[in-house]
Amino acid sequence: MTDDKLTNEFENIRGHLKSYILRITASVEDTEDILQDTWIKASRNLNTFRGDASLKTWLFTIASNLAKNNLRATNRWTENVTDICKVAAMQNQQFFQEAMHIRATSPQGQFEIKEHIAFCFTCISKSLPLEQQICLLLKGVYDFKVTEIAQIIENTEAMVKYYLHTARTKMIHIFEDRCALIKKEGICHQCTELNGIFNPRQNAQEELVKIRMARDASTSDKEKLFDLRTEVVKGIDPFESNAAELQLHHLEHNRKVMEDYLKKNPD
Amino acid sequence: MRFLITSFSIMAITVLTEAQNGVASTTKKTFSRSTSVKIEIKADPEIIWALLTNGSDYSRWNSTIVSLTGDLTKGSKIELKSTLDLERTFKLKVKEMIPPLKMIWGDAMGKRTYTLIPKTQGFTIFSMNEKIGGLMFPLFANKIPSFDKSFEQFAADLKKEAEAISNTK
Repeated sequence: MTDDKLTNEFENIRGHLKSYILRITASVEDTEDILQDTWIKASRNLNTFRGDASLKTWLFTIASNLAKNNLRATNRWTENVTDICKVAAMQNQQFFQEAMHIRATSPQGQFEIKEHIAFCFTCISKSLPLEQQICLLLKGVYDFKVTEIAQIIENTEAMVKYYLHTARTKMIHIFEDRCALIKKEGICHQCTELNGIFNPRQNAQEELVKIRMARDASTSDKEKLFDLRTEVVKGIDPFESNAAELQLHHLEHNRKVMEDYLKKNPD
Repeated sequence: MRFLITSFSIMAITVLTEAQNGVASTTKKTFSRSTSVKIEIKADPEIIWALLTNGSDYSRWNSTIVSLTGDLTKGSKIELKSTLDLERTFKLKVKEMIPPLKMIWGDAMGKRTYTLIPKTQGFTIFSMNEKIGGLMFPLFANKIPSFDKSFEQFAADLKKEAEAISNTK
């Protein structure tokens, strides 16, 4: 393995690595740090790369190990994160002023419902135990196989299957309970509410029809709807999309709110 | 002679199948009662072990458990609420843990033992036994409900969940 090959592969997967770390830490700053540390560690230890996994798998292993030692990654949120953060946002005028400014001035300040679906997935998945969240992301969003995930998290395939199944079951249950996009009784309407604020002239129903998960909500089962939700997440790069700056601003807000919340409610 | 051997073989297979088919059996004695269930599961012991040792997850897959709090590690204390008696919280201690083969929890009156025996081709034999007893046992023996149905449901739920996990692609 040569330095050139490592550099090429790292550049090829940089976007995926970066979004993966962000989804685990919910912190832009920590993501940049872990990404850089991944590169440094990979460069220094290139001679230990034996080739029994792909270079991509090896780089994700390094990033995952670094993320597991990151406090913001190990911090686990609550299932009702979006409720808690909504209340905090309503009381925080500065948050909305900044968001409106980004919306008005930034080329990455658009609000799109599908972007918010991906954002919401990140927030809710942070309520899973870390190992479960990692497995869910690696399989559903980054297309790793069970055998590769076992290498990345340095565990057995049996445990990866357990983590995947449990994570998926929990996520499906949470969205079934909460998400008004897939169930009429769902208690969370934040994506359409925010669409009303950021895109006041837009018809939310017309936008929803463009999203297959929302379109198929009444005809597909919960498993299929979760797969469609994961497809939405997979299609979005949280650093490069047209809504990136607005959504990252929102994510920073939610992370700070959850850090405060967890300090006050350690159990 | 050939008929005799065939008959014995059929009997042996029948006994083996019955023993692992998830049907519970109870043995009653003057000072104790013992209930057992055994079932064959097409999953690695590790998957079954993960299900058995993640307390907070029990109520998701196991319809006989209302809640289980506390760490399932050797020496830890746990609190269990079962559908057998919704009014009561069982305060138990984890007495033995041999991953991924054996776990025992219990209190002064009883002991529940979980055993996993790995078989070939990805199968595992799961067995669960609960023995309750003591000198005072005859005084309240009639007040303790039968565990048979609950044990059978526990084994069936575990099999269903473990096999679903095992089939994850």
